[in-house]
Amino acid sequence: MNLDWLSQFTLSTPLAIRALECLFALSAGIQTSEYLRMRSAMNAHGLWSWAIQRQDIPNPLAQKFFDRLFTENAFSALLWARVLALISLGFYGANLVNVTFLFVSNLAVLIRWRGAFNGGSDFMTLVVLTGLLIAQWLTFFDAPELGWRACFWYITIQSMTSYFVSGAVKLLRPEWRNGSAMTIFLNAAIHGPLQQTHLLRKPWLATLGSWTFILWECAAPLALLDTRLALVFCCIAALFHFLVFWFFGLNRFFWAWLASFPAIVWCAGQINVLAV
Amino acid sequence: MTIYWVIAYFLVLLVALLYKTPIVRGPWLFLFRSFFPNWKFFHAVGYVPHLYARAGKLNGQGQIEWSDWLHLYPRQPQNFWNLFHNTQTNLGLAQQNLIDHFWADLNDAPDGHDPRQLVTYKMVSHFVDVKLAENFPDHSHKQFELRMLLDNPQQTTHTHVMMTTPPEVRL
Repeated sequence: MNLDWLSQFTLSTPLAIRALECLFALSAGIQTSEYLRMRSAMNAHGLWSWAIQRQDIPNPLAQKFFDRLFTENAFSALLWARVLALISLGFYGANLVNVTFLFVSNLAVLIRWRGAFNGGSDFMTLVVLTGLLIAQWLTFFDAPELGWRACFWYITIQSMTSYFVSGAVKLLRPEWRNGSAMTIFLNAAIHGPLQQTHLLRKPWLATLGSWTFILWECAAPLALLDTRLALVFCCIAALFHFLVFWFFGLNRFFWAWLASFPAIVWCAGQINVLAV
Repeated sequence: MTIYWVIAYFLVLLVALLYKTPIVRGPWLFLFRSFFPNWKFFHAVGYVPHLYARAGKLNGQGQIEWSDWLHLYPRQPQNFWNLFHNTQTNLGLAQQNLIDHFWADLNDAPDGHDPRQLVTYKMVSHFVDVKLAENFPDHSHKQFELRMLLDNPQQTTHTHVMMTTPPEVRL
């Protein structure tokens, strides 16, 4: 008897596409709703006044273009148009129009925030969006299968790289290896400092936590060996990103990386080295 | 076959991490830096820039009386529902990112360069105006400084002032 342990875990391409579209729509939707609520911080009296920031734009013609785009009304309209495009993505799926608009408008939003609003979550959002854009343009040129394959692999490689690099650079730092870095960063975090009695102030626990994260992040590429490993990896990753949100306030990281998980599971299903 | 490409990629990545490469800079590259993620999060511990500001008011003798220094560092309470909508925390994080960029700009500026020409200086100055107006509505002068704080797990172990602005009239 030949038992099939894998097929029930392998993500089909249509299901992976749908999961990717829905999770990305949710992630970018949360970001856009936050931008809409932040508009008062972006007017002339707010911290992010365009009158000052426009000096970042090196080209006078581009400066004039963005002056018009970043008036309060025009920028609000852009954000609301993004909401509509995201609803269309979530309910009806990706197409050339909604994905291209989301990509271009995302660049405009990033420029409004001097290149990045939240660092890593902006990077990952752009990675997933670029993957969707590749899929749509290759579909337009009659290569949908190649398009989605390229999309999933691009997202997976970037996502795996993010874990691997993040773990490897910590491994190279003595303050991470002895656990002190974790306590220092938690104290400096927006929800910090840690209470004097907090468990993570105990050096042995901080060291254990640091090594757990370092080893798990460095081992991330192994998740591609098997779909089951990829699923376990994604569950642990979701918990990891929740903890990052809880201690550092980075809610966008949670959603941005979650949107990359369907691609990871799909790609692991294409390899399945450990298939027996 | 795919697995060999994946293994090769991560080996190249590992080698790339060990070798330092020159940093390419440019205004457009800065604005489009999201296309070139480095994925190095929370990796290095060291001096961290903190912004301090104070408000001044002219007294009867025409001299400025200063308030205590105000530490402009974002702190927010934890809340589970912020997972879905987290405006204030994200604005606070963006504010601290701005201070980090201001520090980086000061660090990269050539000797003798007037920092007041920096966009980040103007943004920080504008931010100080807004914050001081909230805390000291009738102040006439402002001053701010960038202090570098070195922490260990228990406390701040060393502080030095990187830059102090001259007293400026409130705009």
